[in-house]
Amino acid sequence: MISKFQIASKNLLRKKSRTFLTLAGIMLSSWVLVSLLGFNRGYETALNRDIDNMGYQIMVMAKGCPYEAATMMLQGGAGLRYIEQSVMDSIAKKPEVDQVTPILMQAFFDPNKGDGGGIAGYYGVDVATYPGMKPFLRFHQGGWFHEATAAEAVMGYEAAELEQRQVGDMILVPEKNVQLKVVGILERSGTQDDGTIFVPLKTLQKISGIDKITTIGIKVKKDADITKLEAALYQLPDLQVVSFSQVKQTIMKLITTARIMVLSIAIIALLIAMVGVVNTILMSVLERKQEIGILKTMGAMPWDIFCLVWTETLLLCACGGTAGIGLAFVFARLSDILVRRILPYAPGGNLVAIDMRLSLLTLAIIVTVGLASGIYPAWKAGRVRPLESIRSDV
Amino acid sequence: MNWYKMNRLIVLGLKRILLPTMLLSLLMAAPVWAAISCELNYPARDVPRLFPDSTSYITTYFSFTKHGGPTLLRQVESRLGGVPALFAPLDVPYTLYEIYKGTKKVGYVHGVNQKGQFGVIEVFVSLDMKGVIKAFYIQKISGQWARKFTSTNFGKQFIGLSLKDFESYDPVSSKGSGKVAAIKNPAPEASTDFYGLLRAIKKNLILMDEFFYSAKKAQP
Repeated sequence: MISKFQIASKNLLRKKSRTFLTLAGIMLSSWVLVSLLGFNRGYETALNRDIDNMGYQIMVMAKGCPYEAATMMLQGGAGLRYIEQSVMDSIAKKPEVDQVTPILMQAFFDPNKGDGGGIAGYYGVDVATYPGMKPFLRFHQGGWFHEATAAEAVMGYEAAELEQRQVGDMILVPEKNVQLKVVGILERSGTQDDGTIFVPLKTLQKISGIDKITTIGIKVKKDADITKLEAALYQLPDLQVVSFSQVKQTIMKLITTARIMVLSIAIIALLIAMVGVVNTILMSVLERKQEIGILKTMGAMPWDIFCLVWTETLLLCACGGTAGIGLAFVFARLSDILVRRILPYAPGGNLVAIDMRLSLLTLAIIVTVGLASGIYPAWKAGRVRPLESIRSDV
Repeated sequence: MNWYKMNRLIVLGLKRILLPTMLLSLLMAAPVWAAISCELNYPARDVPRLFPDSTSYITTYFSFTKHGGPTLLRQVESRLGGVPALFAPLDVPYTLYEIYKGTKKVGYVHGVNQKGQFGVIEVFVSLDMKGVIKAFYIQKISGQWARKFTSTNFGKQFIGLSLKDFESYDPVSSKGSGKVAAIKNPAPEASTDFYGLLRAIKKNLILMDEFFYSAKKAQP
């Protein structure tokens, strides 16, 4: 015996173009919806991972650094402002602090970069404490520095690729003409480390001719009160405190506006698709009025007709939704690239994270909204009067 | 017009407009590059300097992934002396500036990355339609001797050379004869950079030959 699903699919296939276009509408709206839900989750996860990858929760830096540093140097200024190492020692004594690491950021002018020259940046890190802040550092080639004063460099993957360096190769610090041996190349991490050239802090201090630092990275104890520590750090003169939880909150606030706008678009797309569903099913009911009338004269009850028409809605939504989710999976990388181009700040890793649970949730939303849209045409079909419909022209 | 007729019109309209638009959008999707290419920092300024006769240029991309694949890559490496490139060579998109004088294409500007002593060397040449070097430009090179290589006198030695001149010289073993062998190293302490530059130019010319000049000759 032929099932309701077979009858429904045969009915839908009678008007292939119309069915295909309705399916396309549902497919596009489910694609948008699942991609958006994937972005909602993926962005936050990626941002959290980027912040975790920093290794420390708070950064303390001299006022004017690094925001004004480039401008100051380009305008012939004295360059960066510095922090005395003793400040770091006093911060390390605070009870909330687990670990601290000193950092020195330095930029040198390279006259042989293009026609007008360019800036080459180096990141001086403490050989002993920095790896403790970043236990997830992975090496593509080589390893960490051999000693605190070694004339060595560790390069991020992209920095090495850009400069075509391998372990054992040399790099030259422009302006100072100091040679450094590449001892390690990091694995690609999708973070700012990829483009960074790390140098032992003491080596970079010696090259630059200064004994100070620009930044202090602070890792807070697990159960410590970060807010209390931040409040204490704000009291330190000529220093600014950057808390990554604050950075995260600010970025998330900026992104929320974009998320709401895109969500509104997704809802509108879903509504348009559902209007398409109502239209298609209603058209199908009107075209088959006589047929429905005959079914009723043969004993079909209004509920049977209702279920038959509703099954058509179910089929349309399920197929369109599944196809849309499939497309979202296939084009997730493309969506990721587009989102990255639009957003002012995009963390590394996958921004659009779609998995099976999210796909099923989207399918459930599409099918539920679809079935709700199908109630009216199905109800109208169930109310068709047999004799009137058989006598009518359409 | 009744509901039914209106719907048929809408369906017809969508079939004729929506589907071709969707297909066109898919075909026009921009390419996404995986690795680092060698591009001019300021093409609008650099192209007229490298090709003074030009009136306009178009930026295009080519890669082994799109044409020739690993077989062609091995062929290019073998023509270069069998030393493989360092980072993901198959994925590297090569940026090519096609140069026009009015509506007529008059040549190309093309650059390659090459491993140097202290970092990457980015070197460009402008070529006429026969593959002869018209201008030579080093965009990036590191080392105290960099100015010696970027000097006009050093660059002049490459003008007028073509792939034919490089075929009689092996920049890997630094052995050979002819015009290329006669090019003087302005900084003997920087032999890696000097031979790297020669290799880069040869690689540049071989790539242009494989992808454009020979390909054009092979066309019926």
